[in-house]
Amino acid sequence: MSDRLEVDHVKVTHHGTVLVETGGLVLEPGTAVTVIGESGSGKSLLAHSLLGTLPPELAVTGAMRLDGDPFDLADPDSRRHLWGRELALLPQEPALALDPTMRVRRQVAGGLWKAPAAVARRRAMTALDEVGLAGAAESYPHTLSGGMAQRVAYAAATIGGARVLIVDEPSKGLDAAALDRLAALLQAHLAGGGLLLTITHDLGLARRLGGQVWVMREAEVVERGPVDQVLDAPSHPYTRRLLAADPSRWDWVPAAPTAGEPLVTATAVSKAYPGRPLFHDLSLQIRAGERWALTGPSGVGKTTLGNALAGLCTVDAGTITRTEALRRPRLQKLYQDPALSFPARVPLRAGLSDLVRRHRVDGARISTLAGSLGLDEALLDRRSSQVSGGELQRVAILRAMLVEPALIFADEATSRLDLLTQEGTLRCLMEEADPGCALLLVTHDQSVARALTDNRLELGEIAEPATSGVRG
Amino acid sequence: MTGIRRTGEVLLKRSGQALGVALAVSILCFVVVQRLPGDVSYRIAAGRYGYDLVDNAAAAAVAAELGLDRPAWQQFGSWLAALAQGDLGRSLVTSRPVGEELAFYLLGTLQLTGAALLVAILIGGSVGVLAARHPGSLVDHLATTWVASVRALPPFLLGLLLVLVFSVQLGWLPAVGHGNSTSLVLPAMTLGLGLSGLVARVTRETVINVWSSSYVQFAHTRGIRERLVLLRHVLRNSAVVLVPYLGAQAILLIEGVIVVESLFAWQGLGHALVHAVFWRDIPMLQATALALALLVVSLNTVVDLIVLRLDPRPRRAGALA
Repeated sequence: MSDRLEVDHVKVTHHGTVLVETGGLVLEPGTAVTVIGESGSGKSLLAHSLLGTLPPELAVTGAMRLDGDPFDLADPDSRRHLWGRELALLPQEPALALDPTMRVRRQVAGGLWKAPAAVARRRAMTALDEVGLAGAAESYPHTLSGGMAQRVAYAAATIGGARVLIVDEPSKGLDAAALDRLAALLQAHLAGGGLLLTITHDLGLARRLGGQVWVMREAEVVERGPVDQVLDAPSHPYTRRLLAADPSRWDWVPAAPTAGEPLVTATAVSKAYPGRPLFHDLSLQIRAGERWALTGPSGVGKTTLGNALAGLCTVDAGTITRTEALRRPRLQKLYQDPALSFPARVPLRAGLSDLVRRHRVDGARISTLAGSLGLDEALLDRRSSQVSGGELQRVAILRAMLVEPALIFADEATSRLDLLTQEGTLRCLMEEADPGCALLLVTHDQSVARALTDNRLELGEIAEPATSGVRG
Repeated sequence: MTGIRRTGEVLLKRSGQALGVALAVSILCFVVVQRLPGDVSYRIAAGRYGYDLVDNAAAAAVAAELGLDRPAWQQFGSWLAALAQGDLGRSLVTSRPVGEELAFYLLGTLQLTGAALLVAILIGGSVGVLAARHPGSLVDHLATTWVASVRALPPFLLGLLLVLVFSVQLGWLPAVGHGNSTSLVLPAMTLGLGLSGLVARVTRETVINVWSSSYVQFAHTRGIRERLVLLRHVLRNSAVVLVPYLGAQAILLIEGVIVVESLFAWQGLGHALVHAVFWRDIPMLQATALALALLVVSLNTVVDLIVLRLDPRPRRAGALA
């Protein structure tokens, strides 16, 4: 049968270790196939093996047929001529997938390099208009939010008219509004008769796209079926565990601690970036043992407020005082991307040992903490690039806990992790924190904030200061 | 619009810096000359008349003529006052206006630096890009050998080798001199070849990094032809890293070419500086040091402006939510 993509069998190996092995994947026009599962289960590798973009050290065998034409998956170049015209990829981290030195419209038009420049420009403009970003055509990528960058990447990926769209972890770091717009774009692609394969750990997105859901674990597909059946009546225990890891269903919500001494006091603070007010006349106090969440959509200034409270940036007006209890190193920050907070070429243990020496803490605590965080101590002898994102974030927690902090500031610390890893990581954080340690969580995920914290501050669009005259 | 504003900011910041650097270098240079051993007027007289003809009377006459017996701060003050009017004074040795001499030497230095950089970019850049396209291949290994060889050769040795081959054996190029266009080739090759190794190395690393970046991968999966990806995405982003590096290398070239200038009798600023120190030609010395300092600031300004044009991202990104 034509007009569809059939993958009879695919196997990806690395030095004999099987990373993906499955078959019977059929993409049909208008019906989504969504692959869910934790990081490292091989779901991204599955997508890239179809496209032919796996790293060369991975060996692939298998075959697929597009409209009945056979392709050998072992030959990465066999599908190269389809890229952009028949097969398109919406990559992870769209903000990094855009060339930082090139304006948005030129970048989108780049995919039409065979067409005359004027035609390419006009069609790029149409494509940007379709994703609601005509106004950003002359912007540079660094001025776009994560959601906007993703829509630009979508326009750039699909401008060649590819029917088969492969989407790799599109929801990382996106807030609810951006996720809605993305889902709408993907639904429009399906409605236009497109074929769609989505790799995600976002169950909400899987539900919105409908169609078929595959659940992957350790290189294998453990369950597959229509989305309602898999997500509402899972038959495999792993699927049930995956569903239970959704923050709205957490059953280990920590007990509310008692608040102690004030640690940070912000009085009437305001801050604005040029042309963009962030927060205005805001006051709050964080006491020892309290659990705070700063929530709101991307770009409203959650991280900036957190940084200001932690003393990492200044405010335009108002005062922020931190008590002696937060002297160095008693205030620790966990970053969104743990890979950026570790040196790339040094074993993890070296950094921890430096910390032990610098702050004269008991080195034996490294082992104790590693044990209670569920980290294999042998991991610490690797470099940051040689452990998974979830493991690395646990090492970051270990590093923060090592100096017995009085306040931990977690800046979207789990937003890039899959559900199971997120649950495990946050559970570690909550269980390991000293009862007197305050926690400041910056997150766009309301359900995480609700599950973990007692004090929440929702940042939203702040109203323009009222000026005299009539409002339009 | 913001581009113009940021260009203005760079120019303003750098002009302030130029003023400060000029003043600091002038004062330092003056103090150092005062502290040099030996009698200044004696050395100047020797420069004018030759060592055999100098006696105390001649030295005293020179001191009186040039006002060298005045207190140091007065001498510096009058030099500064003249400088403010654009007058660099006259050479104590040749009596020609320092401005004219300086312009001559400056041109020599800029020609040599420019030509050497061009050689380094053409050779080093191509070798680097070729090696980066296929890391670990034969081309890559050959490039590494090239880098190691040109780096291992000190400039005077490389220069002598070039002279032996191209002047003595082949007779294609003049060995020394300054004037006709061919005399530039050997000193420029000496400096440029030496630098090309470093440029090749840095280009290779940069291009490999950029090539493995997400945006280049994304460009590939959009079906854009490899040559276009190289031209549109890789070269420009690599230049963001390479231009500041080349700027730093250009400064080293300008300031560190005394050996090569001497070897090829090329008359540039390094040459002028050495002679001015030797003969205690204070106005010439002051002017040369000043010119070198301002050249560094100007080069940094040019680098800033180019990078600003290449890469629109703000230099100091604030923490964004």
